[in-house]
Amino acid sequence: MIEIKYFGAVAEKTKCEFEKIPFSEVSLQELLQDLDEKYQFESLSFSVAINQKIVPKATQYILQTTDIVALLPPFAGG
Amino acid sequence: MLTEIGDKGQLKLSKAKVLIVGAGGLGAAILPYLAGAGVGEIGIVDHDCIEISNLHRQVIYKSSALGKYKAEEAKSMISELNPSVKVNAITEKLSGKNAITLFEKYTIIVDATDNISIKYLINDACLVTNKPMVYGSVFRFQGQVSVFNYQNGPTYRCLYPDEKSTATNCEDAGVIGTSVGIIGMLQANEVIKMIVETGTVLTGKIVVYNILNNEQQKYDFDKSDVLLMNKEIFDKKYGIEENQIEEVNFESVLDEINDVEVLFLDVRNEVEFPKINFKNGIQIPLMNLENEMEKLDKSQTIYVFCQSGIRSKIAAQLLQKHQFKNIKNIVGGAFAMKQLLQEKFTI
Repeated sequence: MIEIKYFGAVAEKTKCEFEKIPFSEVSLQELLQDLDEKYQFESLSFSVAINQKIVPKATQYILQTTDIVALLPPFAGG
Repeated sequence: MLTEIGDKGQLKLSKAKVLIVGAGGLGAAILPYLAGAGVGEIGIVDHDCIEISNLHRQVIYKSSALGKYKAEEAKSMISELNPSVKVNAITEKLSGKNAITLFEKYTIIVDATDNISIKYLINDACLVTNKPMVYGSVFRFQGQVSVFNYQNGPTYRCLYPDEKSTATNCEDAGVIGTSVGIIGMLQANEVIKMIVETGTVLTGKIVVYNILNNEQQKYDFDKSDVLLMNKEIFDKKYGIEENQIEEVNFESVLDEINDVEVLFLDVRNEVEFPKINFKNGIQIPLMNLENEMEKLDKSQTIYVFCQSGIRSKIAAQLLQKHQFKNIKNIVGGAFAMKQLLQEKFTI
């Protein structure tokens, strides 16, 4: 299973703070595309972390079965 | 006394100069602790006044202070708490025009704002002036904290390169007072650690805190090697041409006489001739301008003139300093205007 964590306005779109999806050999980009289709993030901007490390979204990375992906948007309140 | 801090640490605190940008929920949490710790000099930038909807999270303000400038109220709170702290209340909006000059006077810059574009501005001005930026922000029940540009470390742009992003502020999204309090406290803690050089500063890492389940995540991020910021790029990006006032010839704006979209501002004294009266004109002598600025709309295009163009230039600079966005100086002043009007309209 791959775990995905959602924060801030992203979690409002997904209506959950995390979910687990069955493992399949997908790249990070493919996963992000799938999520975008599913949740319609549209203009929402976020950074992506794999296993607690922020990575460029265009990273050529094939997800591993125990990976935890996080979608982290900037917050603006204060 | 904490051995990790001691006399040496206290001395460092007394020599530190910290600028807090934003005296809202985060600022209200940060300020008392920095003042209590004995930070030598604290600057507070905020152009907002206290509103009733602020009080639940901006707990340093009293309900009797509604309508007053936050920066000034925060200053008086600090002075009562610790009179040895030098406090500077700055009731201007932070902009590309004042950020660099302001930041240069301090050793640490704290981002306690509620607006993404200002966060980029703070980040960029910190890069130009080589100051660390202590970042905090809140979205509903979650908050983020990090320290950017610390000893040449990663910046806000390394974490969030997409500047076009939108995010809602506390007033729009709603927030519980304690969440900004907790995040502000974490920011104050980073400031103190940095000053006394104890512990590990939160550089290259962002903490994300969820107050509903008390989960705290820490994410690492690297410095991006494609970002470049210096004074020249900064000035270009934020559209600054030092003290440059746009000058126009009266002939080019003849069509705008009596057009209510614009304003002609006469900064001469009432006794001066020739009289120039347009429907969309107003007379405020230069010497009264600073006190009567509220008569003017900051977003309106204002053509300033005097007798020959010298006082109007001073007036235009004064207005620009007070965040008037669209000020133009009429070359040659009333003399040139009168002459042109006679040429055009006298048969």
